Amino acid sequence: MKYLTIDTTTKVTAVALAEDGQLVGEGFLYTLKTHSERLIPMFDQLLTAAAWTLQDLDMIGVVRGPGSFTGIRIGIATAQGLAQVLNLPLIAVVSLDALAWAGLGRTEDIVPILDARKNEWYTARYYWKQGVEKAECLTSPQALPVDLWLEQLKRLDRSYCFVGDAAAKSKQLIENVLGERAVILPEYISLPRGAYAARAVWQRWQETGTGDRVEPYYIRFSEAEVNWAKKEEARRRAAHE
Amino acid sequence: MTGSTKKSVVILGIETSCDETSAAVLVNGTDLRSHIISSQIVTHQKYGGVVPEIASREHSLHLYLVVQQALDEAKVNFSGLSAIAVTYGPGLVGSLLVGVSGAKAMAYAAGIPLIGINHLEGHIYANFLDHQDLEFPLLALLVSGGHTHLILFEAHGQYQVLGHTRDDAAGEALDKVARTLGLGYPGGPQIQRVAQEGDAFAFKFPRAMLEPDSLDFSFSGMKSAVLNTLNSARMQGDTLSVPDIAASFQQAVVDVLVRKTLIAIERTGVKTLLLAGGVAANSLLRETLENSLSEHNVHLVCPPPIYCTDNGAMIAVAGYYHYLAGDFAPWTLNAVPGLELV
Ligand SMILES: [Zn+2]
Repeated sequence: MKYLTIDTTTKVTAVALAEDGQLVGEGFLYTLKTHSERLIPMFDQLLTAAAWTLQDLDMIGVVRGPGSFTGIRIGIATAQGLAQVLNLPLIAVVSLDALAWAGLGRTEDIVPILDARKNEWYTARYYWKQGVEKAECLTSPQALPVDLWLEQLKRLDRSYCFVGDAAAKSKQLIENVLGERAVILPEYISLPRGAYAARAVWQRWQETGTGDRVEPYYIRFSEAEVNWAKKEEARRRAAHE
Repeated sequence: MTGSTKKSVVILGIETSCDETSAAVLVNGTDLRSHIISSQIVTHQKYGGVVPEIASREHSLHLYLVVQQALDEAKVNFSGLSAIAVTYGPGLVGSLLVGVSGAKAMAYAAGIPLIGINHLEGHIYANFLDHQDLEFPLLALLVSGGHTHLILFEAHGQYQVLGHTRDDAAGEALDKVARTLGLGYPGGPQIQRVAQEGDAFAFKFPRAMLEPDSLDFSFSGMKSAVLNTLNSARMQGDTLSVPDIAASFQQAVVDVLVRKTLIAIERTGVKTLLLAGGVAANSLLRETLENSLSEHNVHLVCPPPIYCTDNGAMIAVAGYYHYLAGDFAPWTLNAVPGLELV
């Protein structure tokens, strides 16, 4: 099966062409231009370079979050548009699951960390069992304050391999808390890559064998919803008194 | 008989600039085969206005469904389309990006041209849906929650902005007054509803006309006058009639819009006025314009209310004329939240 994957959940625009889980071509751009400007031209160039046509594709894969809200939506709208016209199944994967592939073969727990602003990370924790090509999820995806998450990891008495767009720039901070128990992979490995999404998509396809009804995976509510819920809560309390 | 069978031009129009996800299929500029609008008004009501992040989330959930429904109702598939037209600005950036990204992917995959439409242009072109034979030059009064423009429309794609608001848009001022009066969101239709029971001359609110030769608008001071009237009444323990306030404010806004329009007509000598934008659905504005214009032998053209508010049909109409001109967008098309008409 030939397929295309799109990951625009961080500042990296990452696309890949793959066949049966094997990477065929990869696009990676980490510049100031927007996903919206880059995405279709990158995909078009990649197809041409690989001498593939749109008709060669058997499915479309997309990373549905967590990450940048706008980026998530650009990726999904693009993937859905392609899948809709070409009448192909759409496979959606979680950004942190995809990033776990950056640490395939390592013995530490894999901890993807994505910048979630407000001094928080989108994070999770995975473990690669020897000889099994499926990461076990030990802590499911969540948005956590940076300090709180590092403290939790410290208490767990394990060692960790950090990946993700927050990894390289938080090296000092992580090492201050976890010392020798932390490995921080270099940026060229730990930033989102088409190859990782291609692996994650293939794994999901093998497990489900069917397309997904794709919905964005934000983890967080919007600020307006959070504030409204707080106000409602206050009103409810006031009414009780 | 030439026997030529000219190929139909079939445009899919997509609009996601604010709080409506909409798509329409239009054949040859006037034959609207389908028109789907998924409104988010109910979702935003509890926040008292459109919340950009929530609007984007809603568009993201609904875009492909709305497009599919529009195609199904029109009984066409992507291979039957000539081009896809999409709003790329002005509007909320996150919302625009959903429509632009989706439209780009669809057009690319279908191997057909992509057309980028300015939302304001779309509003104006809503008038061409039922009137293909409009003769240039035309004058357009565009009034909505985000815009108040007087535009000289000289030929397809050629605009000259004669005047625009320097602060609040007319619809925005109506929304804010409605909120203060506790009438809820969206404010324009609520003001109109309540005003029916009020006296439009009970309060004398100012009509901001700016410099004598200016075609610009200013609604912020007019809005403040209403708020001040309400505040001082509250201080003195008086309760004012909400219908009277609504009616008087609506009258003041309409008066300014009509007076400026008449000046523009006198100055340009155009024979047809196009009314456009959400506030164009306001019946007091329509009636007052109709009466004033007929005295000057000027013809008023106005879309049915459903094509006044944001919709995909108007984007498809504008797209049709871009298509005829061969004016297509590159795959790098981006959302431009502050896009100007010229
Ligand atoms: Zn509008």
